[in-house]
Amino acid sequence: MALRRSVTRLVGDLNLLPSLLPRGAALLHSHATSFGFKEVPEEEKSKLVGNVFTSVSSNYDLMNDMMSAGLHRLWKDRLVSKLHPFPGMKHLDVAGGTGDVAFRVLESINSVSRRAMQHGLAETEEETQIYICDINPNMLNVGKKRAIERGLGENHCLHWIEGDAEALSFDDGSMDGYTIAFGIRNVTRIEKALAEAYRVLKRGGRFLCLELSHVELPIFKQLYDYYSFSVIPAMGELVAGDRESYKYLVESIRRFPNQEAFARMIVDTGFQKVEYENLVGGVVAIHSGLKL
Amino acid sequence: MVRASRRLLKDAANIGKAFSDFLACPLSKQPLRHCEDSQSRISETIGVSFPIIDGIPCLVPKDGKLLEDQNKSQVENGADPSSGNSERDLLLAVNIWVTGLI
Repeated sequence: MALRRSVTRLVGDLNLLPSLLPRGAALLHSHATSFGFKEVPEEEKSKLVGNVFTSVSSNYDLMNDMMSAGLHRLWKDRLVSKLHPFPGMKHLDVAGGTGDVAFRVLESINSVSRRAMQHGLAETEEETQIYICDINPNMLNVGKKRAIERGLGENHCLHWIEGDAEALSFDDGSMDGYTIAFGIRNVTRIEKALAEAYRVLKRGGRFLCLELSHVELPIFKQLYDYYSFSVIPAMGELVAGDRESYKYLVESIRRFPNQEAFARMIVDTGFQKVEYENLVGGVVAIHSGLKL
Repeated sequence: MVRASRRLLKDAANIGKAFSDFLACPLSKQPLRHCEDSQSRISETIGVSFPIIDGIPCLVPKDGKLLEDQNKSQVENGADPSSGNSERDLLLAVNIWVTGLI
């Protein structure tokens, strides 16, 4: 893992900083009306993003492997390890369509349960529940098929729900964990998605977000930009027959707030102990926070 | 004793379909009722039903249908409620609900 560098930064409390409100509000508005580098009406953005994911859903996992040279698997492993899953937990994976994160959470919990049983410690009567919520039914269908292939088709812990990250269909304080992997930059109003995450988490619940982020290292940045804008759309055209969707994906990364700005948004929502960890020099960042 | 009472509670939960009902209406955040006939989840508070397609509950706000609209279309037997109308009515339902909150 020569390329992996992890740097965890703890984001300070809001009262230590001057108010960033005017700039913050402008940032959010610009995110809500941007579709990649294009400007679109806010109401349109959700539909356009929906079209992108309907189009890419059948090749989504293959393209992830190709674009990240398989690294996305390690990033998701890291995300789930930071979650510290436990048997009996109620977990919500948002924008988790094809199931990658949910399967990992389930497998992690099963291995904990197995170890507990070996030591005669299986006392928990509560059942683990993992909810996979995605706004796009095609992505969910791909996920369900993958679950069946992995022998998890009849598993009563996994629940597939079509829903909107900005208006979640879960009770207040019902979840122990909330993850969103490569989903938050596709949401129209980030602050609404964050507020919903805060609402559904229990006290002590953990928020984790894995997202493509900003690279600042001098030469690496140029290489990464070249890779993003030249190689990826071409790969998208070759493999999935859809250059435009992959162009959107790449542009949306650049339009998304950087690590610090996004961390501020998470703090503003009410989360505590907010920190982020850069992977691969900032190509990907895992933001985390606790609801206390 | 704690273990025994936990087991009792677990059995009680298994009798109903309680498990999946951490689910709430995405608009009103109130509990949903499962309806066997129409295979949907119903939010009583605002009178909206959410379909279940291919075993997946569709709880996106704009997928909700007002209950009166559904009944009307069943009575008229095949008359097609235009999607424009149901969207408008859903907007009305949301407005009513929001006003109720203020």
